[in-house]
Amino acid sequence: MKRVVDWLHARTGFRTARHALLDEPLPPGTGWFFTLGSVLLGLLSVQILTGAFLTLYYAATPDHAYDSIRFIISTAPGRIVRGLHHYGASFIVVAVLLHMVRVVAFGSYKSPREATWLSGLLLLGLILAFSLTGYLLPWDQRAYWATVVTINISRLTPGAGELVGGLLRGGASIGALTLTRWYALHVIFLPAALAVLVVLHIVLMRRQGISGPVRERAGEPLPFYPWQAARDTTVVALVLVALAAFAWNGAPPLEAPADPSDSTYIPRPEWYFLGLFQLLKYFPGKWEVVGAMVVPGMVAALLVLLPWLDRSASRDPRRRPLVMLFFSAGLFGVVLLTSLGWRDRPRSEGSTTMWTLREIGGRQMAQSAGCATCHAAEGAADPLESLAASRGPEWLAGHVEDPQMIAPGLREPPRPIGEREVAAIVAYVRKLSRQPYPGFDTATETAATVFARYCVGCHTVDGDGGKDGPDLSHIGAKHDAAYIRHLVADPEAVNPDAEMPAFRSRLNDAQLEAIAAFLAARK
Amino acid sequence: MHRRRALVVFVNSVVALIGGGVTAILGAFALRPSTTADRRWIRAGALSDLTPNEPVPRVLSISRQDGWYRERARETVFLVWDGGKRIHALSATCTHLGCQVRWDAGSTKFRCPCHGGVFDQHGNVVEGPPPRALNRVDVRVERGGETVLVRL
Repeated sequence: MKRVVDWLHARTGFRTARHALLDEPLPPGTGWFFTLGSVLLGLLSVQILTGAFLTLYYAATPDHAYDSIRFIISTAPGRIVRGLHHYGASFIVVAVLLHMVRVVAFGSYKSPREATWLSGLLLLGLILAFSLTGYLLPWDQRAYWATVVTINISRLTPGAGELVGGLLRGGASIGALTLTRWYALHVIFLPAALAVLVVLHIVLMRRQGISGPVRERAGEPLPFYPWQAARDTTVVALVLVALAAFAWNGAPPLEAPADPSDSTYIPRPEWYFLGLFQLLKYFPGKWEVVGAMVVPGMVAALLVLLPWLDRSASRDPRRRPLVMLFFSAGLFGVVLLTSLGWRDRPRSEGSTTMWTLREIGGRQMAQSAGCATCHAAEGAADPLESLAASRGPEWLAGHVEDPQMIAPGLREPPRPIGEREVAAIVAYVRKLSRQPYPGFDTATETAATVFARYCVGCHTVDGDGGKDGPDLSHIGAKHDAAYIRHLVADPEAVNPDAEMPAFRSRLNDAQLEAIAAFLAARK
Repeated sequence: MHRRRALVVFVNSVVALIGGGVTAILGAFALRPSTTADRRWIRAGALSDLTPNEPVPRVLSISRQDGWYRERARETVFLVWDGGKRIHALSATCTHLGCQVRWDAGSTKFRCPCHGGVFDQHGNVVEGPPPRALNRVDVRVERGGETVLVRL
């Protein structure tokens, strides 16, 4: 064995390399605070490994990105790997901040380590760029809308707004070209830059030596391995166990697939951008650029200049009260803005669990439109109930209107189908792919079908529908069923000036009864 | 020096544990069992579409799940019905090199256009290079002959 290792050393010199890497003498008193660099190295390795393996299954196209991620999380290892990658990003942001706090508190940025400090700041920017580009890749609503906001903020860049926006967008609007661009940034360009900067940062750290405790202590320097390595390993292991605990059940569930036409979605950034997001709220209108560019730019400039602003010889935080005060105030500001942003973050989930009339009505229409000819247990496509609709609403509408268009083959020619039916079926299918049909009584289903086919053009119930006629959400408080029935059947008999058409001839008695009873119950 | 030795063992074993854990998870992820081909019953017609003792080709559109991708493919199946209770279905793919065989009504044989393979109406090899009979496809009849289902 020894001969083999000797041979290998003679050919490669690996013992010299190992000596250079591991036996660096560290000043006495180097302690637990100096483990954060290794924590970051460990977390970055996890990100790079999980990221590389995720690319085995990920497809960066608007048609397939969402499906491919759903495929990834369909097995336990996939859920864990994606969970590690998702929470790993947050862990890195926290670790980077703690590392920076340590460096500022210990005055480690001071001469001769200014270049190390600057390379660290570049790494911080790179980490944020990673999380920004990675956020888009799942191509769900959260991803899409956060990117819309990011790109719109980038367009505030003074003088070059459209240039920067266009560069980030890739195409005329946010779509396929944006996704491939951000994917390439996330997996090729940024990792290349990261590798260079991490190596540079470590080489600079080794060249100037580790800064060590703020006041020199007596004692012999000890080699990194195994003395400091034991501390590093302990902390890294604890952090990774914590990360695994977060990741065990996977990342938070995907939202609905990206839908550029959805005007109701309220974008939310990842939690570590909530502070920046919150800042924008204090600079309305033309002042927005102050919150988006000027304040963050000034903070960045102060950080870059820190080694030259603080030129005192002492590294002891107690002798640098001004720097510590400003830095703590800045840190407090970031934490405050982030927690304000967290409390202020919009919640858009609430209403989506309720079934709207259009969605309920869509069920009956889907049944009569013959979707089940193909969408059946023995048909050419999955039954609607087990279908996971990952296509956007336009695609679905096109498919409902003409199933042949998307799935050419042995289909029967489509029955002509109205615009309202299409909208209702699309709403139903999209809802169904997120939650199973809860079941409603026949009267409600009939009323919903009538509403989704006729009333929805002019009237709104619970926020869904047209605005030409009155909102009917609480119509039952004003009128009883008999009155409503009479009005729907023949509006002019009730009110000679009514603009609403008569539905006497289009609805049968059961339908009239159902819609009148349903609306009368809406108090 | 005992302390140093203990620390070396500690560091090396923790690093090995982390490496092993990460390798296990990533390995399981990379080697995920290939999703089993989900064969399912699809409608291939009705008995009234068929002629007794005459193989009838049906071109069926099937969709197969390929990971996250849904692939649509066409496959030709010959339905062979004796006019009574017995029916069987044969894949039209020649067992030699995968060409599509045709039914030659004159000689009542399946003929492969590529290398001259010939099969009888039960799919058995009569002549030529095919190594084995045409593949059988599961078939069943439901609703009194209104629905013939094959499993693809």
